Amino acid sequence: MGRRKVVSVLMVLVWGIVLTLGISCLSLAQEKPTYKVVSDISWPPFEMVDEQGNYVGFDLDVMRAIADLKGYNIEIKDLSFDSIIPAVAAGLADIGASGFTITEEREKQVDFSNSYWTSDQAIIIRADSGLNIATALSSGRKVGAQRGTTGADWIQTNLIDQGIKVELKLYETYPLAVLDLINGNLDAVIQDEPATRASLKKQESLSLAGIIITGEEFGFLVAEGDPKGILPKINQGMAELKASGEWEKLIAQYFGD
Amino acid sequence: MEILETLAAIGKSIIPVLRGTEITVALTFSLLAIGLMMGLPLALGQVYGNKIISTIIVVYERTFRSIPALVLLFLFYFGPATFGIYISPFLAAILALGFRSSAYQSQIFRGAIQSIGQGQMMAARSLGMSKLKAIIYIILPLVLRRSIPSWSNEYSSVLKDTALAFAIGVIDLNRWGWRIAIRTQDPIIVFLVIGVIYFFLTLAGTRFLRWLEKELKIPGFQSRDTIG
Repeated sequence: MGRRKVVSVLMVLVWGIVLTLGISCLSLAQEKPTYKVVSDISWPPFEMVDEQGNYVGFDLDVMRAIADLKGYNIEIKDLSFDSIIPAVAAGLADIGASGFTITEEREKQVDFSNSYWTSDQAIIIRADSGLNIATALSSGRKVGAQRGTTGADWIQTNLIDQGIKVELKLYETYPLAVLDLINGNLDAVIQDEPATRASLKKQESLSLAGIIITGEEFGFLVAEGDPKGILPKINQGMAELKASGEWEKLIAQYFGD
Repeated sequence: MEILETLAAIGKSIIPVLRGTEITVALTFSLLAIGLMMGLPLALGQVYGNKIISTIIVVYERTFRSIPALVLLFLFYFGPATFGIYISPFLAAILALGFRSSAYQSQIFRGAIQSIGQGQMMAARSLGMSKLKAIIYIILPLVLRRSIPSWSNEYSSVLKDTALAFAIGVIDLNRWGWRIAIRTQDPIIVFLVIGVIYFFLTLAGTRFLRWLEKELKIPGFQSRDTIG
């Protein structure tokens, strides 16, 4: 008898928990939609982690501000850069916010918001190497970039495909390429300008060789066809942030000196 | 001085690092549990099952041992989503690495089963035990004891495989290493510290299993002495 009682009490408990969870989920769903935002949170100043482990950065604060304005909740998830487009395309997440350059290639898989940032590519070298932007990108030089980024693409299409035999080495993340540059295994590293400036502040042994004006536009991305109707909210939200001056404040916070 | 600065930065993030460690440990234990619960029956089926059962098990075991862990992680996370089934990265990682571990563990147990003399089974049957009873009461207690050394190897191996799970968004110890390395721009020191944490996790587990092995040793003549 004793054991049976325990079992029935447990059953009641379990069902109780299931029901409360179910009801709370339902009531949440009626209030506000929650969208899952994915970002590779390792790319200051666009997305990074502070000492307490909070997710901060320009992209994420913009996402939060828009969610507040347009009345939805967001849940931010950290995911490696290469996996973000597959995850959004598969419906595992709703919004990709990770400093994505809008490219034709990516447009085939996902839909982009209006552009929110224009970036160029920066080339960095060791300060004592005596190279300049032309010699650093000539035949026989080793150039590092993060895999899957537009910087890596630029080297491939504008140098290697044109017959300039630089050796392109790809890394999981940008700081690894920088480390290899400091260690002397690379001659130069290519990367988006804002992130480059953020890391140059911390690395005195490196210097900026030059900027390649590519005029890349960054956009937030959602699944092809925007099935949940998120893009209008993001675009309107960005316009409202710019009109209210909030946008400039965020830029000053993350890109100001 | 730079080293001290980096260590201080890690120190300030100690709570998140511990949270990451917790995820790594939880993932390791969960996938080992799945691997154990599936691996043991698989091994028994492969040794004692009929032709159909053992063929199916061999196909399963070969499949999961042949596919790289990273590919399995992608298949288990992105695969179900194409059929409208959305699972969390953590669950996908447990299933992918757990099924993989079950294939490896089945071979650990199969080896242990086959190392036990035919005489044990014959003696049990001659005392009137059914085959199932003989497996449960005679073979399994011997098999589990003998499996501990190789199982400890599996533990230390899968513990480090969990570091791959960030590819699908599991925020584990390794990922916290990345995050701090990027903030401090000093990956070497950060990853040395992360490496030390993995080292102690491995050491604790293998030490415990070694203790268990000694504790459960069958005393007496002809028992195999545990070295160390």
